[in-house]
Amino acid sequence: MKVGFIGLGAMGRPMALHVHKAGHELCVWARRPESAADLPATLCATPAELGRRCEVVFTIITSSADVESVTLGTDGLSEGMAPGSVLVDCSTIAPDAARHIAAQLAGKGIHMLDAPVSGGAQGAIDATLAIMAGGEAAVLERVRPLLHCLGQRIVHIGPNGAGQVAKACNQMIMVAAIEAAAEAMRLAAASGVDCAKVRQAMAGGSAASRVLDVMGERMVGRDFAAGIEARLHHKDFGLVLEAARKSGVSMPLTATVAQQLNALMAQGWGRDDTASLLRVLELA
Amino acid sequence: MKIAFIGLGIMGRPMALNLLKGGHQVTVWARRAESMQPLLDAGAKGAGSPAEAAQGNELVISMVADAPDVAEVMRGVAQGAAPGLVAVDMSTIAPAAARQIGVDLAAAGVDFMDAPVSGGEVGAIAGTLSIMAGGSDAAFAKAKPAFECMGKNIVHVGASGAGQVAKAANQILTGMGVLAVAEAFAFAAKNGVDRGKVREALLGGFAYSRILENHGQRMLDRNFKPGFKSWMHEKDLNIVMQTAHELGLCLPGSAATAQMFNAMVGSGMGEEDSIAVLKLLERLSGQE
Repeated sequence: MKVGFIGLGAMGRPMALHVHKAGHELCVWARRPESAADLPATLCATPAELGRRCEVVFTIITSSADVESVTLGTDGLSEGMAPGSVLVDCSTIAPDAARHIAAQLAGKGIHMLDAPVSGGAQGAIDATLAIMAGGEAAVLERVRPLLHCLGQRIVHIGPNGAGQVAKACNQMIMVAAIEAAAEAMRLAAASGVDCAKVRQAMAGGSAASRVLDVMGERMVGRDFAAGIEARLHHKDFGLVLEAARKSGVSMPLTATVAQQLNALMAQGWGRDDTASLLRVLELA
Repeated sequence: MKIAFIGLGIMGRPMALNLLKGGHQVTVWARRAESMQPLLDAGAKGAGSPAEAAQGNELVISMVADAPDVAEVMRGVAQGAAPGLVAVDMSTIAPAAARQIGVDLAAAGVDFMDAPVSGGEVGAIAGTLSIMAGGSDAAFAKAKPAFECMGKNIVHVGASGAGQVAKAANQILTGMGVLAVAEAFAFAAKNGVDRGKVREALLGGFAYSRILENHGQRMLDRNFKPGFKSWMHEKDLNIVMQTAHELGLCLPGSAATAQMFNAMVGSGMGEEDSIAVLKLLERLSGQE
């Protein structure tokens, strides 16, 4: 199958390579063409051109505005994609934005799935991403073999936007857990106790979690180089709190964690790992 | 002065009436024509559009709901404007949105000022609003006689957007202030102590505030009629939190307060006064 990829960052690049490895023909478009260098792919001049060449297009880029401009903007995918083709948007964006884009594309007979992923750069490399899909079940079935190149846990959550709601829930739990791990490490250190031992002990008990494993280890080793850049979690928390506001829901913990992320950004640590929430605690 | 006034809601109507009382010639426009009638009865002229309202006037004032409304109204004003027109928006919108409108209008030769107010409907009727202005010295000088008909504490805070920054700071203080009084009252009641007596005692000390005095009394009376509606306070706190997010600014108290206001709107208290946050606290602690 001819498959397009837009967004060739830490996530998109290994994902595209997995699709290629499975025997599919790859087309790519990149705002900076050099980020597509040495990929086994046809480089397209515009998203519209990429859309004309492909039956299925994946996008994995940063913001709602970016996805809107790549899909609906001038020379966007919607100008090229044929009726019946499928856009799989793996970006993390606002549920409202996903619904809006899906509705616009539907007007041209183009199918869309919102299919944000969890698992980070490592999950993308290992092809172990969790994929949360929103859209029509039949469309998901059509692209399921492609998604299987990226991860085995593929859940159809509901109609368009539902995948993004699931991703928002995922981000809330994960980043709150990072903050909890950071606070535990901070308390242990301030009490003169060995953080590594505390983490090791907790790993066997009820507080065990993947966040404590991965982020806890970074905190103990004071390794703040990004796995996932904290600025992306900061962006996601903006989306989550906006969704809470629109739904009239109170989320006191998420709101507090968002403020810690704001402080992290103010320190200039946005391109470091979110484990830097520990360093924010150490400021006060 | 010849002044156009756009937006004749709960705040705009009494503000425009005070301009008429101050001897100014006022032209009005409102989205709903029936909102214009009380002003026409009081001697104002009616206009068919914001552009028409701007024509032949030296000063245009808007008092509408949110940033997109201000932008739309001001696009119209720019079409009808003579060069050198001063346009003042007294709505509460995001500082960044106000700055952008200022830039857009400057291109059309209109000097734009943001001048949000505090003091509510009571202050608007009495002409005792606090007015926080952001923009050029020339625009402030032009608008000052109009401001003096509508308000008492009139401060030129700084450049474009500075008025909205001051208003956002005001909403941080009033939002947290109302929540603080409600929490103190919930605390007293759960301890079996008379909250009226607590209020009376605290009014003499360092915890004195106008909010403890006025909002506190309305909490004791369980008078939840607005005043200032919860959904509007929620909207204003959202401006605060969005701005904090954009700037990388840690505001834990405002964040917690904003979530309480989300819950008020979500649980059907949006049309009540913001002091209804007391009812939310009582529900959470089983004090109903």
